[in-house]
Amino acid sequence: MQLELTLNGKTERREIAPHHTLLDVLRDDFNLKGTKGYCHSGVCGACTVLLDGKPISACIMLASQTQGKSITTVEGLAEGENLHPVQRAFVENFGLQCGYCTPGMLLLTVALLEENPEPSKEEIVDYLGGNICRCTGYANILKSVQAAAALVKEASL
Amino acid sequence: MYLADMDMPGMAHAKVLRSPFPHARIVSIDASAARALPGVVCVLTRDEVLADSTIDPYYGYVYRDVPIVAIDKVRHEGDIVAVVVAEDEETAEDALELIDVEYDELASVMDIDAAMAKGAIQVHEVFKPIAPELRPVEGTNICHHSTLAKGDIEQGFREADHIFEDSYSAPAVQHCALELHGCIASVGDDEITVWTNCQSPFPLRGELQRMFNKPARVIVPYVGGGFGSKSRDRLEAVVVAAAKLAGRPVRLLLTQEETFQTFIRPALTCTVRTGVKSDGTIVARHHRFAVDVGAYSISGARSANNTLKVATGPYRIPHVLVECDAVYTNKPPSAPYRGLPTTQHTMAYETQLDRIANELGLDPIELRMKNLLVEGDVHVTGDLLRSVHAKDCLEKVSSSLGPQLKGEAVASNGTIRGRGFSCSIKYTITPSEPTLATEAGVELQEDGLFEIRIGTVNMGQGVDTMAAAIGAEAVGVPIESVRILHSDTALVPQDHGTTASRATFHTGNAVLDAGTKLRAELLSTASDLLEEDEVRLELSAAGVAVAGSSGRSVSFVDIARHRGGSLLAKGECWVGGVYTDESGKEYPIASTFWTFGSVGAEVEVSRETGEIRVLRIAAAANVGKAVNPEQTKAQLEGGVTFDLGPSLFERLVWGDGGQLMTTTLMDYPLPTLHTMPEFHVDLLEFPYDQGPYGANGVGEMGGVMVPAAIINAVYDATGVLFHEVPLTPETVLAGLEATGA
Repeated sequence: MQLELTLNGKTERREIAPHHTLLDVLRDDFNLKGTKGYCHSGVCGACTVLLDGKPISACIMLASQTQGKSITTVEGLAEGENLHPVQRAFVENFGLQCGYCTPGMLLLTVALLEENPEPSKEEIVDYLGGNICRCTGYANILKSVQAAAALVKEASL
Repeated sequence: MYLADMDMPGMAHAKVLRSPFPHARIVSIDASAARALPGVVCVLTRDEVLADSTIDPYYGYVYRDVPIVAIDKVRHEGDIVAVVVAEDEETAEDALELIDVEYDELASVMDIDAAMAKGAIQVHEVFKPIAPELRPVEGTNICHHSTLAKGDIEQGFREADHIFEDSYSAPAVQHCALELHGCIASVGDDEITVWTNCQSPFPLRGELQRMFNKPARVIVPYVGGGFGSKSRDRLEAVVVAAAKLAGRPVRLLLTQEETFQTFIRPALTCTVRTGVKSDGTIVARHHRFAVDVGAYSISGARSANNTLKVATGPYRIPHVLVECDAVYTNKPPSAPYRGLPTTQHTMAYETQLDRIANELGLDPIELRMKNLLVEGDVHVTGDLLRSVHAKDCLEKVSSSLGPQLKGEAVASNGTIRGRGFSCSIKYTITPSEPTLATEAGVELQEDGLFEIRIGTVNMGQGVDTMAAAIGAEAVGVPIESVRILHSDTALVPQDHGTTASRATFHTGNAVLDAGTKLRAELLSTASDLLEEDEVRLELSAAGVAVAGSSGRSVSFVDIARHRGGSLLAKGECWVGGVYTDESGKEYPIASTFWTFGSVGAEVEVSRETGEIRVLRIAAAANVGKAVNPEQTKAQLEGGVTFDLGPSLFERLVWGDGGQLMTTTLMDYPLPTLHTMPEFHVDLLEFPYDQGPYGANGVGEMGGVMVPAAIINAVYDATGVLFHEVPLTPETVLAGLEATGA
């Protein structure tokens, strides 16, 4: 089937297999390898992308369901060499170790700060609590999100 | 770029047919229908493997007991029976269903007790040990039995005023590294090339070369977490055999469910008998443990044997006997797991110490202080201990958390709080004979920058930063002047593997050695070029200059040109052998370094639901020297949260038929941000004389003390001392009810 969607701000068209998930299509048809898979059952959050600005698990959504919609992946965050403030906050605060969960964490943080620019610690824990990280122990992820909120706020002033 | 992000021209895709039974003889395999499916390239079964006379079908470093694909029988659910190679993964998956396998089901042994029972069916009828230290017990499932003794254990118990004996157990769990296991292999006429996320590329290369009788090159891209599950190969030989048969590159990527059938942390049981004086002095310890290594002893027997050294903990005990059994069962093979089985030993001896303290009316911290090892003590292995500071670690976590709470009620809903502490000692893998364990290269290149070449695998632990910091410091240039080349066996010097907290010590020492040698070469070359004495020369980012204001200097680009384009120095890290102290006395080296640490936990227990919340964790370790303090702290925090899972809820469960029931994250929850405690992490920096700039290995130290501290905190809160993990709400409620607490 023909899929047309807005991908990282650009209109894209591709011939895709209708039974393929959004995760497969992003990685294999669009060659956007930044979106990662682990559980393939919508639990771990590694494959988190934004669908019309809201976080979803790309591994349990059929690509065909995104027809005409807008998808943001981690590749859509930086502008050229300039990292998105959320990316900068993760780098500066050791918010990652192996980096495999990081694309999902970044997109979730972007969505959180869009909805709630000044989240409390509890609100961050609730919002990001579904995404698994095996390396950091989460303390530096929490710190990174708090720092990201400050950076995003600064950038919007 | 991770493995799954890579593509090779002409690459085909593999899927694996796995055994549905935990133990069965294979009567016949008919793959003709699968081979006939359009899009299928080939199917690898025992017939193809046995027909190729250039292949040794068995692999393994400890026991040569793992077949590439099942040959006579399958030994665990998920054991590899056949491999389909096809143009795409979907076709390969469809073809799996067309393979007809006839099994003759056998009785199975699914736990340690069943496997050790008299007359139990044998998982392996023939033992094939490779490692010289292995002691199998013929006719049983015990693939290794060993002991470690000091003093006279019977005499020790005679001297004791009180004797305590307790048994403990911890179930199997899985590492759940988010990047799934995978491998790409290409077999040419002259060389095998493998891209894999294995933590030990050099041992893997050696094994592939032996099995396939051909030179091999192993390339490891960035690894998305390993935690031990990727420390030894399981897939590479399978994919190489498939690629050889296919005549083109082949990729295999496992699913999350398949990783649960590939490597797990083994179950462990142990019994600890301790003799103490009335004042709390420990005089005797008999520690018996059994490790369920699963169907193949890929590393299980060796891991079990290694932890004899630390089973009695960081304590001075005059009379010691440790006994270890490594036992084959029909579970998936076991792998190292971030400190295992030190974690389970620590859980046993540390929770028993709290029982001893309670029953003798002693303070748990005082009891530990009385018995902890100090500088200059001789360990149970005979090692002379330096840079210990175990007491400092305990003092640190104790002051971070404050004293015991003794069941302090915090709310009207029956929630109570408690605090618990634990101490531990961790070893690293160490050969008994002097061994060149790790090499490194530092090269000045044409562009005036320095390339550091290491065999260590980067899996997020910060090894590149560590090597860059040490290399730059040793040469005397800013860190911006160095770049890292790692884990490609064709381009970097050998290393025994990125495991057992090794990297900072071993790779760090090799890089320090290479950098020091290169600095000497740079100064000598610059001295010739500038016609100045070396002592008057200084290094900077740009090159070598004469001290003072003369302005005379030579750039690194010019030095490189003068030396034929580049200048390479090689560094080495030797381990093993004996340590000689200042008086000339020699001591054995059972571990190249020993790491000491403490953890304190504050928990909240609900009497109504049995739920435990871990509110605060204090952790302290003597790291010798923190090469990168933020990263080292993050390693400890990561280790703590990692082990909260097996402490509170992680557990693999097999059904009566030997099939794994907990196959997805729906039935196997992992720690999340909700689980995360408040951290108080302290790095103690008492330099270790053998470490690079005094640094010690610490990568696995965070988690190993966590289950013990949590059990002790729950004991403090409720008065109930648990002898098992995970402390699920059901377990806690049952414990509270049984004791009327």
